[in-house]
Amino acid sequence: MFQMDGDGSTTDASQLGITGEYMAGSHFVLAQAPEDEGDEGLNDHEDGNGSKDNLREQDIYLPIANVARIMKNAIPQTGKIAKDAKECVQECVSEFISFITSEASERCHQEKRKTINGEDILFAMSTLGFDMYVEPLKLYLQKFREAMKGEKGISGVTVTEGMGEELTEETFTNPLPAGIITADGQQQNVMVYTTSYQQIPGVQQLQFS
Amino acid sequence: MSEKTMEEKVEQATNSKNVSLPMSRVRLIMKSSPDVSCINQDALFLTTKATELFVQHLALSSYKNGSGKETNTLSYSDLANAAEETETFQFLTDILPKKILARDYLKSLEEMKKDDDSL
Repeated sequence: MFQMDGDGSTTDASQLGITGEYMAGSHFVLAQAPEDEGDEGLNDHEDGNGSKDNLREQDIYLPIANVARIMKNAIPQTGKIAKDAKECVQECVSEFISFITSEASERCHQEKRKTINGEDILFAMSTLGFDMYVEPLKLYLQKFREAMKGEKGISGVTVTEGMGEELTEETFTNPLPAGIITADGQQQNVMVYTTSYQQIPGVQQLQFS
Repeated sequence: MSEKTMEEKVEQATNSKNVSLPMSRVRLIMKSSPDVSCINQDALFLTTKATELFVQHLALSSYKNGSGKETNTLSYSDLANAAEETETFQFLTDILPKKILARDYLKSLEEMKKDDDSL
């Protein structure tokens, strides 16, 4: 609903959530004067979209402290970050995750697979214009795997729910010793933490002896 | 952001298993997408790490292009501008509408009305 106070002030957060849909052409949101940040309630999406009964994907955010820290480390040390900028990036992050995930999920479905794997994510990044992340991410993944391998018996992150033919909790709590030939040719016993139908680039498939 | 810089950062990372964002929360967000059933560990890690890269990328891009050069502060409008001007960030334009002050909007409304009246 488009509502304005008689005196032109907009103190109610609900009046701030007016998007371009209600105005001809441009994409504007009314804002309070810059020096008065107050509680702008950026978590309230009063744009009239859909029902508020279900928690929409955009309503789940990563903790703002973590986000703010990463931002702070990215910009020059002397730089500062406005509070509404931090909150905004928080929302952008959720949007980004959903963006990548739906693209990866779609590819998964097209190939009749149920589990989103690393390749799907990397492919999605490439498709969506984030191909500059792909190479560094591959390196990070390699290091992540090496670090995980070094921790025998640790269940790691449980990322799936127990579904019939998919990974179950047991897979993580009762690791099977398996001989695995790694890229450098050495054979070592590591715990199984991936599914058997995951394609791991650069590493040969798990060999169960 | 050049890849070389990213690689340097990767090399410097001593404990690369560490991510500075909670993976469980990332997973929650991923699962809230329709039709997502299972996410494997690599995918979760990659998404979390990519999100970190994204935050750095967005923050630095916006800061560099923005008026923050004078004020030294990264503001909301810097982000909104980056979303509009950078192709990679265009998926954010819906959630980053540019803000104008209420009084400016009212002023432009009045001006539009005057134009209509004078026709």
